[in-house]
Amino acid sequence: MSTSISLSSEPKHTVAELEDLAYELREKLLYLCGTYEGAVHIGGDLSLADMLTALYHYGLNVDPDDISNPHRDRFILSKGHAAVCMYISMAMRGFFDFDDIVATYGQLGSAYGMHPCKVQLRGVEASTGSLGHGLPIAVGMAKSARQKGEKHRVFCVLGDGETGEGSVWEAAMAARSSQLGNLIAFVDRNHQLMTSFSEDRVVLEPYLGKWASFGWNVVSVDGHNMQDLVNIIDNLPSSDSTRPTVVICETIKGKGVDFMERNIAWHAGSLGAADLERAMAALESTRKVVSA
Amino acid sequence: MPVTFTFGEWLSARSVIGSTLAELGGEYDNLWTITPEIGATLGEFRALYPDRFLDVGIAEQVSIGVAAGLAYEGNIPVVSGMLPFLSMRALEQIRSDVCYPNLPVKIIGTHGGLVGNGGSTHYAVEDLALMCALTNMTVTSIADPLMAGDILRQSMKMSGPIYIRLGVGKSDMVLYEPGQHDIQIGKGIVARDGYDATIFTHGTTVAQALEAAETLGALGHSIRVIDMFTLKPIDADLIERCAKETGGRFVVLEDHLAYGGLASRIADVLVDRNINLTAFERLGIPQVYAGFGGDEELRDKYGYGLTSTISAIMRVLATK
Repeated sequence: MSTSISLSSEPKHTVAELEDLAYELREKLLYLCGTYEGAVHIGGDLSLADMLTALYHYGLNVDPDDISNPHRDRFILSKGHAAVCMYISMAMRGFFDFDDIVATYGQLGSAYGMHPCKVQLRGVEASTGSLGHGLPIAVGMAKSARQKGEKHRVFCVLGDGETGEGSVWEAAMAARSSQLGNLIAFVDRNHQLMTSFSEDRVVLEPYLGKWASFGWNVVSVDGHNMQDLVNIIDNLPSSDSTRPTVVICETIKGKGVDFMERNIAWHAGSLGAADLERAMAALESTRKVVSA
Repeated sequence: MPVTFTFGEWLSARSVIGSTLAELGGEYDNLWTITPEIGATLGEFRALYPDRFLDVGIAEQVSIGVAAGLAYEGNIPVVSGMLPFLSMRALEQIRSDVCYPNLPVKIIGTHGGLVGNGGSTHYAVEDLALMCALTNMTVTSIADPLMAGDILRQSMKMSGPIYIRLGVGKSDMVLYEPGQHDIQIGKGIVARDGYDATIFTHGTTVAQALEAAETLGALGHSIRVIDMFTLKPIDADLIERCAKETGGRFVVLEDHLAYGGLASRIADVLVDRNINLTAFERLGIPQVYAGFGGDEELRDKYGYGLTSTISAIMRVLATK
């Protein structure tokens, strides 16, 4: 990586450690989904879990004790409905307290809600939730960094369904026109919208070609393969480069819990105590057996 | 005591805005200008500060989104464009990306009202209703070209967003001698004093209100003209004072839908403060999608031209 100033107090994790962290993130997501009385966007949280683990524990140059440092990488969750995946990733990175999230999520007066709010939650970079809004904001942040001569990157995570919004493509053109090589988009290509599978509702393919035709540097990766995610992060172009990069992460909505995977019913939902146990058992069965 | 009104010189609000931005760009190294390809006004700024200028092409949504991103980074972005498109195509970006986090983004543009002969796709006639509905937004509509620069300069101290509405902005009448009025965001301007009735107006119709008042002044009627250039926050105290001092006779005149703009803002104050009037008339655009024609022709056609304004004042004066 070409980041000029390292803020991170956390040592670089190994791939095995990152996989453990992603597992822990999924456990925590399920726990919240099982204890909060309302619906959690668990499907899209689980498809993001490896990506956000790779970013928060490996890729992003951030310091939870210095959240306003101008040299920090910026992170924008454009698919804001996956807020809990970001909250918990940030908690595991040291920004927040997981117990506090569990105790207050969605409650009156809580800073932790269904969609992230910058004003209410310090450490969140932008208020998002309405789809198609994050990438334009990221373009503005990347443009500002360029003008100030700052070397950090701006990362933006989008859902593939979200890219049905025209404003995403306005931003894609703007980023290319401004030659923002310091802008990195990650797309959670989980092939599902809220109520349908993407290709049944809107034809996104040829998906890589769409981004390539907008002049972006396009990389495709298995969004659940930690080694591949780490390799992508290690090989991102310099923030001085002239093409924005999009990492298309092939993912499975609901990844890690068999009865949720690719299941339209689990875009969002709530696990009762019994289903929480079942989900945890399903997750447990995916755990790699580590030989002694 | 009537004030004699004389027509001033003609100036381009766009060029005033352009030169003010160029000046402010030198004073504030975090000032940016952004445009969805309506950038002629920004030529001077662009030439001086090319690294703080961005033309995103014909893409209003991203022009506001990018401005939000810049503002999150401590910059002060000014988005300049045509208001029918900024206020409607990018409405949700203005609401959720700018107003929700209360960012200091300035939206300034032209074509407020039935001006420019572009037809209904190109007339911003609902914009003030939309902008006034947004929490954190300050909403202004500017008549005088010099004042446009003044308001822009004042807005540099604001921590939240502001919407600045102009007419076509190519050739506007100078209404106020510099220093003649204490012009402050949030305070109405007594453009002409009087005690028989008050006309409240803003933007492109201020000159017309003054002309109507002048005409009636010659007939012995004392008509107050309030340039209520800030629609939000509204100067409620001034409205209350005018009710007391001008016989409770109000005419509201605006180049905007007659319902949803200044007249509605004033009506809210009257109800909230339990102020009883003798007469209240609103002149503005009815529920139609207007066709083509000159600015004055359209105002005449839709019932808020000079003749209609004089008639409305006569009616409120006749009300006992």
